Amino acid sequence: MKEGIIQGGAKIKMARRLDERTVEISLPNKVGYERIAMACSASFARMIGFVPERIEDLKSAVAEACINAMQHGNKWRPEARVVVNMNFRDDTFIVSVMDEGDGMPEVPEYPGIVRIIEEEKPTRGLGVFMIQQLVDRVKFNQTTTEGHVVTIEIKLTK
Amino acid sequence: MEQANEIRLEQLGDVTLFDIRGDVTILSEPFLNEAYKNANNQGANKILLQFEKNAYINSGGISVLIQFLAETKKNNQQIGITGLSDHFKKIFNMVGITKFAQIYNTREEALENMSGGS
Repeated sequence: MKEGIIQGGAKIKMARRLDERTVEISLPNKVGYERIAMACSASFARMIGFVPERIEDLKSAVAEACINAMQHGNKWRPEARVVVNMNFRDDTFIVSVMDEGDGMPEVPEYPGIVRIIEEEKPTRGLGVFMIQQLVDRVKFNQTTTEGHVVTIEIKLTK
Repeated sequence: MEQANEIRLEQLGDVTLFDIRGDVTILSEPFLNEAYKNANNQGANKILLQFEKNAYINSGGISVLIQFLAETKKNNQQIGITGLSDHFKKIFNMVGITKFAQIYNTREEALENMSGGS
């Protein structure tokens, strides 16, 4: 286990375990590679016994977290990496997506399609909104000594 | 990893079908814009977007669709969507696309409901 998450100014332990219930992959910082994380998380969730509907939710949430990491965290820098750590314990599938950025000053809020179309608001926060809607729990803005982490949790339902 | 969409336009009565092949991401924007320009040149006022059942659609692609819907609303065009998996039907409903476009289970159902009238 590594240490070094800083959350709200306080240093806390980071649960980045590498054991028999953990899979970790490192992705190039290029759009398209999020599909590898989607496929990997889907295979893992299928092994555990997740139903297809929840696997689809997981895949979309993982994709959005990876794209956010590439775009907003790593700012499309080609030399940067996105590390995706997946583990399963206590009926919960946990995916941590780490980039090399400093986190978001504030979590963007999706204004809703009516305001985007009728008030010509910019389409922002859509990926974050999708993650929030698709998983049971999401934690943004965890900063570690290695970078910024978003953690999503999805409960096993059979 | 470069992605290309192919969008074939087909006129089915008074409905213009956009047969969208491939995944729908931010990279789909020029393909959709080009198809829309061509459809407008042909005077389209009812457009049916048909996606591939196993297409990968992410927030970038949904943003492109929202901008498309903004344009079609300005032009008073009627929009239908078909070919979505249950998962993406749920997501389209979640992000509000169903407020501006009707989702149909099949192309036949869409054409039956969209054809004719004003």
